[in-house]
Amino acid sequence: MIVELARGLWTTLRALIFEKKVTVQYPEEKKPVKQRFRGRHYLDRYENGLEKCIGCSLCAAACPSDAIFVESAENTDEARYSPGERYASTYEINMLRCIYCGFCEDACPTEAIKMGDNYELSFTDRRQAIYTKEMLLVPVPPGGKPTPQVTPPGVYTRSVPEMKDPVD
Amino acid sequence: MAKLINLKINGKPVSVPEGTMVVDAAKKAGIDIPVFCYHPKMEPVAMCRQCLVEIGRPVIDRATGQPVLEENGQPKLQFGPKLETSCSTPVSEGMVVITDSEKARAGQREILELLLTSHPLDCPVCDKGGECPLQNLTMKFGPKESRFLYDEKHHAEKHFPLGDLIFLDRERCIQCARCVRFQSDIAGEPVLGFSQRGRHTEIVTYSDPGFDSVFSGNTTDICPVGALTTADFRFGARPWELKSSASICSQCPVGCNVTFNVRREVKAGGGYVIKRAMPRQNEQVNEIWMCDKGRFAGYQYTEADSRLKLDSPELDQALSQAAVKLAESASQAVFLAGGRLSNEDFYTLKQFATRLGAKAYLYTRHGGGEYTTRYGLAPGSNLGNLGKGDTVLVVASDLYHEAPLWYLRLKAAAKRGATLIVANARATKLDEFATFVIRYSYGDEVETVKSLSSKEKVGEAIKNTHHLVIFYGADGLGLTGTTALAQACADLFTSLPVSQTAPKANNGLIGVWSTPNQQGALEMGFAPCADLAAELKDKTVYILAADPAGDDPTLAEALKGAKAVIAQDILETETTRLANIVLPAAAYTEREGTFTSGERRVQRFYPAVPARPGTKADFALIAELAKRCGIDLEGRSALLVMNQIVANEPAFSGITYAKLAEVTEQWPIIGRSDLFYGGTGYENKQGLGVTLSLTPGVSPQGRDKQATLLSPSPAAKEMRGEGLRPKEDELLAVPITKLYDNGTTVAPAKLLAAHIARFDGVFVNPATAKKYGLENGSQARVSLNGVTYSASVLLDESISTGVVLIPRSFGIPLAEPAFVLLTALEPAQEA
Amino acid sequence: MLTEKYPSEIQAIFAKYPVKRSAVMPLLYLAQREEGYITKENMQEIANLLDLDVTEVAGIVGFYTMFHDEKAGKYRMQVCTDLPCALRGADAFLEALCDNLGIRVGETTPDGLITLEEVKCLGGCHRAPLFQIQEGDMVAFHENMTVEKTMELVEALRKSVNSSPRAATA
Repeated sequence: MIVELARGLWTTLRALIFEKKVTVQYPEEKKPVKQRFRGRHYLDRYENGLEKCIGCSLCAAACPSDAIFVESAENTDEARYSPGERYASTYEINMLRCIYCGFCEDACPTEAIKMGDNYELSFTDRRQAIYTKEMLLVPVPPGGKPTPQVTPPGVYTRSVPEMKDPVD
Repeated sequence: MAKLINLKINGKPVSVPEGTMVVDAAKKAGIDIPVFCYHPKMEPVAMCRQCLVEIGRPVIDRATGQPVLEENGQPKLQFGPKLETSCSTPVSEGMVVITDSEKARAGQREILELLLTSHPLDCPVCDKGGECPLQNLTMKFGPKESRFLYDEKHHAEKHFPLGDLIFLDRERCIQCARCVRFQSDIAGEPVLGFSQRGRHTEIVTYSDPGFDSVFSGNTTDICPVGALTTADFRFGARPWELKSSASICSQCPVGCNVTFNVRREVKAGGGYVIKRAMPRQNEQVNEIWMCDKGRFAGYQYTEADSRLKLDSPELDQALSQAAVKLAESASQAVFLAGGRLSNEDFYTLKQFATRLGAKAYLYTRHGGGEYTTRYGLAPGSNLGNLGKGDTVLVVASDLYHEAPLWYLRLKAAAKRGATLIVANARATKLDEFATFVIRYSYGDEVETVKSLSSKEKVGEAIKNTHHLVIFYGADGLGLTGTTALAQACADLFTSLPVSQTAPKANNGLIGVWSTPNQQGALEMGFAPCADLAAELKDKTVYILAADPAGDDPTLAEALKGAKAVIAQDILETETTRLANIVLPAAAYTEREGTFTSGERRVQRFYPAVPARPGTKADFALIAELAKRCGIDLEGRSALLVMNQIVANEPAFSGITYAKLAEVTEQWPIIGRSDLFYGGTGYENKQGLGVTLSLTPGVSPQGRDKQATLLSPSPAAKEMRGEGLRPKEDELLAVPITKLYDNGTTVAPAKLLAAHIARFDGVFVNPATAKKYGLENGSQARVSLNGVTYSASVLLDESISTGVVLIPRSFGIPLAEPAFVLLTALEPAQEA
Repeated sequence: MLTEKYPSEIQAIFAKYPVKRSAVMPLLYLAQREEGYITKENMQEIANLLDLDVTEVAGIVGFYTMFHDEKAGKYRMQVCTDLPCALRGADAFLEALCDNLGIRVGETTPDGLITLEEVKCLGGCHRAPLFQIQEGDMVAFHENMTVEKTMELVEALRKSVNSSPRAATA
């Protein structure tokens, strides 16, 4: 019996002394997520600051839990949010509904909605779980301008980036 | 009945009438052949080549005229060396069509591949995406990959407003010419055309203003791609997000079947809002079309900022106060209801008035209801069946402006061979398609109708006709004028042999009212008041869905002299502003009910959006008021009210909500998954409506008695044409109706503002204008009955000199034709 | 107004056709005679004369290469770039021509001599690249063209214009 006890204690001691610790002191210490981790979404911008989202609502259509709500409006050269004619005037994701499947990301024709690294979502109110466009949009990249922008006519005529012939 | 032809499509035997195109025959057999340029409502042109199929015909021995047989006894078939367009190939006996062989499929696939080389594929931002024939057909018949280079895609202008209602995306256009053909063949307004050729071909409009048509919205429904889109729905929603709700257009007495598409929106706090109005197929009413007024003003007013509402306690208080006033006055109360109310509202109001002992009037300037109820259209009527041997008479009505869909239907009837007689004092758009055009001077309407049967050709046309439909309007006529005209039309009708076999379908008198449900009110015995201003004095007036104060200052004065005014409406109007008590009603988009169209068809509308807080349906408000006056009326639901109508109103006997919701299969089949065939208009699943029967049991006297129960109808005065003939230096002002008016239900449509403004003024002949030193657009003083108004002058060569046309609802109150003075407003002194 | 300018000619044209709308093309030629192009006002007037819609008239002007709705230089050089022509190098030809003339499609050379236009199908596919040159009522076809030959032609035209303003095109 002593032997068994000692063997068991040895296992404990071995783990304590010789093995590498796996415990992470969260939240002081955070582990990096994997490359294909699907965390909280963000809405991307082009380098010049224009929003990639064109308000097409395909993410909302793809969403299996109906967590996304999009309303769109028309761009003008005086007040341009995104390239082309259409932009999202409202973009909301209900994070309580979201199941982080990433279908929205797949459906997006402009790679505007992307799933990021952030998994630290907590709310004290159900309303807080609704992320608005302002909360989802990334900051304007350096050198870019915030939206809406005043743009020269005839430049940003296409919503979806020009398709190219596939190169093998 | 045309001869039946037997053929086989994909091995399936089909029998269709002679002259049917192969594509339609396949459709009947449930086989879809992809099409873009073909549309079942239009002549085929075979421009897009999408409908390629293999067609084999039996070989005929020239000597015997008999089919050559194969060894096995089957007729020998000869297939063409190439594929044929099934949309332009009529069926023939023994024909064999193969739509799904590898050869046929290859043809269809390659046409799609070719079309896609000049299509931008910007489906994510395209309003048509999700209900797009090109998208759907590509999925079903298209190639998986394109052999063409993306880099060489055709690029063109993407944002081109054809007018202020319709946008064109030239890149998306596939040159099917559906819109061009709709405008020239169906609408009769060829304002769209092709310019250039080859790959440069593009849709152009040169009209001023651009795309100058009142049917322009329909082109977006039949456009098989997203090239034509409406301004109101531009980026409004994706089609798959929309819920739909069946309704009836409330802008005119035609009663077009429509579908309202709704979705939740942030602007409504997450509640439902209407995103667009679309036509719903009813081949007996509007086919698959609707006019731009219905599309762009049909529901917009129900969302106007000026909607009335009261909090629950406030409403309660208002109802109590109103009830006290009404109960006090009892027989000294006058009810005044506009034709925007539903049948259920009118019935409840009638019950209330009868039990209270109050007088109830229909608020309208358009009389003659006692004739349209007696000689109106009978069940089975369908203007779409009028053709050779039938006659339609249109008197004193500009149908293009007053009821555009009737204009379309009559234009089509004339094309089918019906005799169309248009009698008016001025040129109207329908003249172009009329067999006979009769001009008279204002004031001679009755004389003209009386003399019709003695005219040589016209008289023959109306005497020998199989069916006779008479439309009479209020062009240049007031209440007495229209009543007299209705009587003259009724006399003409009864004097003709065609009326003797009555009640026969497609036979009778139609009033071109200005409201959707005037006919319903008339059927229940409501009638207009001859001298309203006098009638209102010292009375407690309960006004529903009408704005007398806004229409006529003398009525506003009269209302000020009333004991109390209770106004019930959905929007703030002049009348609600001067009313003592205001009751906010729910709009027809927010409740259930029925309208009776000018063709006496009762049709059901359903709630599209929830009622706004602080409003109630009209019949519920009336019942609530009645309850507080100690009268118990049904106000719980529209259905229960309809049950009572059916029991108590002989005209409505036999109608039930269930019957109104019945549908039968309609041809052409549209609105199912095959959007490419008929466009994005909706299939009718919610009811075709029922035409009221003409009850022979009720004698005309009996009906009149019923009418006097509520109020005496104004006596038809003999009109004297001579009195209205303007002398030298005199100008006769006549009231007319334009499509886009400035009324309560149209003015809130922001998109139509420019269209409404085009009619804001007085119309005169250029010669008249010159005589008075006026130009197009210049300001003039119009002195009428001692009051002076200023208005801009609009020139119109088609009207006679000596006449000033005054469009109704633009601020110059003109009930009956009257003499006016027209003087130029001195231009402002230049500094 | 055409009716004021050419009353007798319009009468003569109308007399030729039993159906009024058939007179549209002769009337368009008439309208084009003076300025070399047809104004929107003239199209409207012709539409009114023939009971057509102005869009229908404009569609005819747009369809035919010999009706114009814009002012141009002395000569209109119209290069076909439709599919068969493109296969025979019409696209590259047009591009090179633009470079040599120093203008883009739709523009006029600074001296007002040549307006370069791109059109669809002149019916000479087998001899592409080809173009037609229009001056007033005169049309000349130039087939199997190269940029060198075209520039020689342009020079010749320029010379002839400088020496005699009424020189014929071909």
